[in-house]
Amino acid sequence: MECDSLMKLIDGMASEFLFLETKEIDIPTAGKLLNNLDNLIKEADALKISQLKMVACGLSSLLGKIVLDSIEDKEAGFNILEKGIPLMQEIGDTFMNTGSYEGDINGFMGSLAALTGDSITKDATETEASQEESHPSEKAEVQDESLLRDFIIESLEYIDEIEVNTLSLEQEPENKDHINAIFRPFHSVKGVAAFLNLEQIRDVAHDLETLLDQARNDEISVTSQVIDIVLDGTDALKAMIIILKDDMEGRTPESLEIDISALRKRIKAVEQGTPDTEKTGKLGEILVEDGAITQESLEEGLKVARADPRKKIGEVLINEGKVSSKQVSRALRKQSKQAMDTATIRVDVKKLDDLIDMVGELVITQSMIRQNSIIQSISDRKLAKDVSQLSSITSELQKTSTSLRMVPIKQSFQRMSRLVRDLSKGAGKPIGVVMEGEDTDIDKNMVDEIYNPLVHMIRNAVDHGIESREERIKSGKPEKGLIQLKAYHRGGSIVIEVSDDGRGLNKDKILKKAIENGVINSSQGLSDQEIYKLIFHPGLSTAKEVTDISGRGVGMDVVKQAVEKLCGKIEINSVYGKGTNIMTFFPLTMAIIDGITVRVGKEKYIIPTGAIRQLLRPLQKSYNNVVGRGEMINVMGDLMPLVRLHKFFGIECEHENPWEAIIAVVEGEDRSKCVMVDEIIGEEEVVIKSLGEGLKDIKGVSSGAILGDGNVGLILDPEGLFELSEG
Amino acid sequence: MDIDKNMRILVVDDFATMRKVIKNLLRQSGYQNVTEAEDGVVALKELRSQKIDFVISDWNMPNMTGIELLKAVRADSELSSLPFLMVTAESLKDNVLEAVKAGVSNYIVKPFTAEVLNEKIEKIIENLGG
Repeated sequence: MECDSLMKLIDGMASEFLFLETKEIDIPTAGKLLNNLDNLIKEADALKISQLKMVACGLSSLLGKIVLDSIEDKEAGFNILEKGIPLMQEIGDTFMNTGSYEGDINGFMGSLAALTGDSITKDATETEASQEESHPSEKAEVQDESLLRDFIIESLEYIDEIEVNTLSLEQEPENKDHINAIFRPFHSVKGVAAFLNLEQIRDVAHDLETLLDQARNDEISVTSQVIDIVLDGTDALKAMIIILKDDMEGRTPESLEIDISALRKRIKAVEQGTPDTEKTGKLGEILVEDGAITQESLEEGLKVARADPRKKIGEVLINEGKVSSKQVSRALRKQSKQAMDTATIRVDVKKLDDLIDMVGELVITQSMIRQNSIIQSISDRKLAKDVSQLSSITSELQKTSTSLRMVPIKQSFQRMSRLVRDLSKGAGKPIGVVMEGEDTDIDKNMVDEIYNPLVHMIRNAVDHGIESREERIKSGKPEKGLIQLKAYHRGGSIVIEVSDDGRGLNKDKILKKAIENGVINSSQGLSDQEIYKLIFHPGLSTAKEVTDISGRGVGMDVVKQAVEKLCGKIEINSVYGKGTNIMTFFPLTMAIIDGITVRVGKEKYIIPTGAIRQLLRPLQKSYNNVVGRGEMINVMGDLMPLVRLHKFFGIECEHENPWEAIIAVVEGEDRSKCVMVDEIIGEEEVVIKSLGEGLKDIKGVSSGAILGDGNVGLILDPEGLFELSEG
Repeated sequence: MDIDKNMRILVVDDFATMRKVIKNLLRQSGYQNVTEAEDGVVALKELRSQKIDFVISDWNMPNMTGIELLKAVRADSELSSLPFLMVTAESLKDNVLEAVKAGVSNYIVKPFTAEVLNEKIEKIIENLGG
């Protein structure tokens, strides 16, 4: 009975063959034939017709070679196929009738082997050579500037992704999803690089891809060596792409020639010199696949197994009796997939910026119309309704368009976790990173701005915060230090916390140093917060030794400056011996600011709401002119210098006497002053307008804004203003 | 051989630059009517919602790979005879054979020129007619 289906298969192939018009086999036909041959081989095997199986196997391999273009004499190949099918029919027929086949197939197999065997050695070089040949003609054909630009942007994104996934892989070396997630971008980068004739990029990406492919197929195991080389390779790729970018943008590439051949040699070495952890990988994997243990417990088991090379992973797992919590890792995996699923569209940032600017203008125009006195005097219910509808739509539009430029802070955090990894290796301290709230959104334009302060805080934590391994062990802490990155929204700000579980800040030491350096006169009356904030003073570093990471006293003041430039705030909390937590508050976006509009004479200014501590009209007796210190106002017992705005901006003011004017108590970096204005107009959200390149260094003014009434107002920069008043 | 240069071609690749490369190459051969998809899932959605005459798909993609897409296309009675050109990287011979067995119309190895691409397309269309 089975012989029936066997014969049907062979006959089917014969008729498939008949339909061919030329002496050439097209791919779809080859596909059908190959499938038929596969089935035939199975059937022949089941019926133990060895000759049929041999012929079918031979034909299948021949067809494969034809498909892959690795046979020189295609016609000969076709002829053999043409002969092979009737031969199989004959074998099948005879077998069905007599139960065996005694004919000789050696002649046929010989000619088949002559054709395929011959080309086996040739085929590899042959195909590659023919591909090489086709290269030169395509040079510059697809080379196109916009393509190159797209490639640069997209590859850099992919490389960031690779970094992250490599770090995840380091945590879970057995997780094939991570390997795949790294493999794929390398593969894509390689593919496009080949088209664009970027040979070095293609080669490096190719080598890394090959390495990962081996890891994927369990030919090598993911050791820290593999992770290192993948990261180094990624760095090299990135450097090459950045050189390309600089080159394209007309800048002279700053980095030196990258030694690609050395890197490639290292990759090869890693491929070959694989330590004997291979077994653990496979065993662990099977256990996981069978659902006997979870990835997590495998991880733990592996850690134990690695710590003690004599122990095998199986032993460890059995000893520890690991089972359960399977759902957790499964859920985690699902989660990571979902994160990748969101459909996106790529838009030029410039376009987005323009859109947001335009929407900003729209909001202002809208509010100008609403505040127009003629419109306000019209008492028409329909108009009032429409106007309020218009304003609610515009504010919604503004919200949505600003959110377009929002990106999760994930990327910045991931760069930090890479940084920690590198720094911790350099400093010889094992340090782990925990991230929280990576999905918190932040204005894309802020991402670059917060990069530097973040780097400094991390460096500080690694270098000064986390103790050396010995010190940690001595004080009973886990050997591995921990740095925590946290992001969340609070009010109108995004809060970014960097905490470490290191030695904490030593108040006495800070005070001593500050007094030595003349930063402060005495430690009296300083709150903890105020003491901690002293570390932001330039030149005040509590590290005993200067390392290449930090400690030159240019660290934390950079953080403070950067944060203040963005109208942000910093808070430090620390427990001596336990760790330090630095909280930075940044505005959600740099496009809008909450401000109090004030008037001085005819001019209007905006003071950032966050900088205002108090608004008041002082009593005449609170005003003092202290010899040597200038005009002061007594605000609830504190004497604060008076700043007359009109003096610095060369304008007329209405009230010369502070007790007739209004005082805004404004906070700068470390001091507060009383800014005297004529009138408080109100609080509003304004769209920040840059003053342009020419006016960017004006002291006391950070930017401009168009106010609700259509007039232009300048946004004050408290710290700059104070410096102006002191200078 | 008359080939309708206006046929609608779907280019499937997760790397946007790659899609653009292929689009440019197609344009060089006169094919203007090109649409894109970033992975198999999106491609399948496109194939089911509009008339597509020709698919050029990469192998390596997240969510749904090229071979999975091919199998899904061949298993769908509406789409089963759709011309399907698979783009593969060199040295992945097993992949090619797997695709051939799954009923791919032809395959093309990266990197390729406009001529080679056009040749492959013509061959596929020719075979359809024959």
